Amino acid sequence: MAGRLEGRVAVITGSAQGIGWVYAEAMAKEGAKVVINDIMDCEKPAQTLRDSGAEAIGVQADVTDLGAMEEAVQRTVDVFGSVDVLVNNAAIFAGLQRRSFFDIPMDEWDKVIHVNITGTFVPIRAFAQQMKKQGSGKIVNISSAVVATGISDFVHYTTSKSAVIGMTRAMARELGPSGISVNAVMPGYVMAPSNEGNPKSVDDMNVSRRSIQRTGYPADVVGTVLYLSTSESDFVTGQSIIVDGGICFG
Amino acid sequence: MAGRLDGRVALVTGGAQGIGLVYCEGLAKEGAKVVVNDLLDCAGPANQIKEDGGEAIGIGGDICDPDAMEAVVQKTVGTFGRLDILVNNAALYAGIQRGSMFDITLEEWERVMKVNVIGQIVAAQAVARQMKEQKYGKIVNIASAVVDTGIPAFIHYTASKGAVYAMTRAMARELGADGITVNSISPGYVDVTSNDPLPKERHDDNIRVRCIKRNQYPDDLVGTLIYLSSADSDFVTGQNIIVDGGIAFA
Repeated sequence: MAGRLEGRVAVITGSAQGIGWVYAEAMAKEGAKVVINDIMDCEKPAQTLRDSGAEAIGVQADVTDLGAMEEAVQRTVDVFGSVDVLVNNAAIFAGLQRRSFFDIPMDEWDKVIHVNITGTFVPIRAFAQQMKKQGSGKIVNISSAVVATGISDFVHYTTSKSAVIGMTRAMARELGPSGISVNAVMPGYVMAPSNEGNPKSVDDMNVSRRSIQRTGYPADVVGTVLYLSTSESDFVTGQSIIVDGGICFG
Repeated sequence: MAGRLDGRVALVTGGAQGIGLVYCEGLAKEGAKVVVNDLLDCAGPANQIKEDGGEAIGIGGDICDPDAMEAVVQKTVGTFGRLDILVNNAALYAGIQRGSMFDITLEEWERVMKVNVIGQIVAAQAVARQMKEQKYGKIVNIASAVVDTGIPAFIHYTASKGAVYAMTRAMARELGADGITVNSISPGYVDVTSNDPLPKERHDDNIRVRCIKRNQYPDDLVGTLIYLSSADSDFVTGQNIIVDGGIAFA
């Protein structure tokens, strides 16, 4: 069976583990040639994809470093010839303590803002150059449903993910004439590895507020990421889709 | 090739012509068995889908008539055994009198509300009863991007489609527990030659304000419809997706 991303080259930032890895696996399954990017080791996950029969490479690089991202583009084009899909997934989330904004240390604020906003901007700046040359491309920015709920005690993360939505809209305007769509996904609380240590009450609270009253998993977000990565969404741009089982409506 | 809607049964209201017929063809191509519903002849379009290799039947019936829609559902289940997807597409649009809010007669207001709002809830009531028994279903309500742009001289149509946003959310809450998702699509201004009440300058205006600088066609909507009709969106509910080439952002 022909996959929905057959022959397409997909770069997923922050994909050596967690939800990013789930996106990478799903895209490989749909026939994409996958570039695993992370600040962690990327060789092992890339090898796992190759072992499953997919084409994949690992490119270890920091999403906030423009020079490193430009090298990642070069490497991708050298190996696979093009860049068709960029999923901006890398972000600081795990390990962030929930606390009142009065208590957030300024260096933590700076780090979250830097990685989550600049770390979305820089890969787009690097990879969209190549997409413009091709005259086509799909950019999927991972935001968060916390922008819609405005949960308390998490204001740095929420602010950073809100910036991703503004960036999505502005870049959609700038890149549309080059045949590039830019959209965002706003996942709700899912049982990603980074959330598995949280108290059960957190998941219970989310489940109780949903239209679809069950626990969410990374796999629940995959269908939307695929939709925004394929030609199915070629006339959809600048949009943000909430995938939270129906807590917030946007 | 396996389709993404193999084994699924889809009912499309207003499916005999125009964009509705394009939806029917798109669903059939992904393997769904399609029920063409309309006030117009439905057998012709159903035969056309069959000739193209799809499975389809035509079942006429007025979406504003609860008994008629009940009968449509009964016949659908009698023929295909189940009903998984409802595309609430039938609506008044082309024949509507445009004009200032001061000039729109109450008769015209009521005519638009009756078909565009009552028609969608009546169809959803009939279909969702069956979906609840199955514990699975996908409802896709067709709204319009005019709700976001608030274009002038069209307040009755805009209000009727605004009601679709609200109904989508309320239905999502009520039906989520039964595994039924309810989402809506807001198309922008679609170039349907046979159905085109606007002068060329209006098309040009639309292109100018889009990110993607070209006319919108019915085919541009199909990918989003398939996404919202397939398991890809099973954790997405109560959401509206604007498909307008990037004019309004949500």
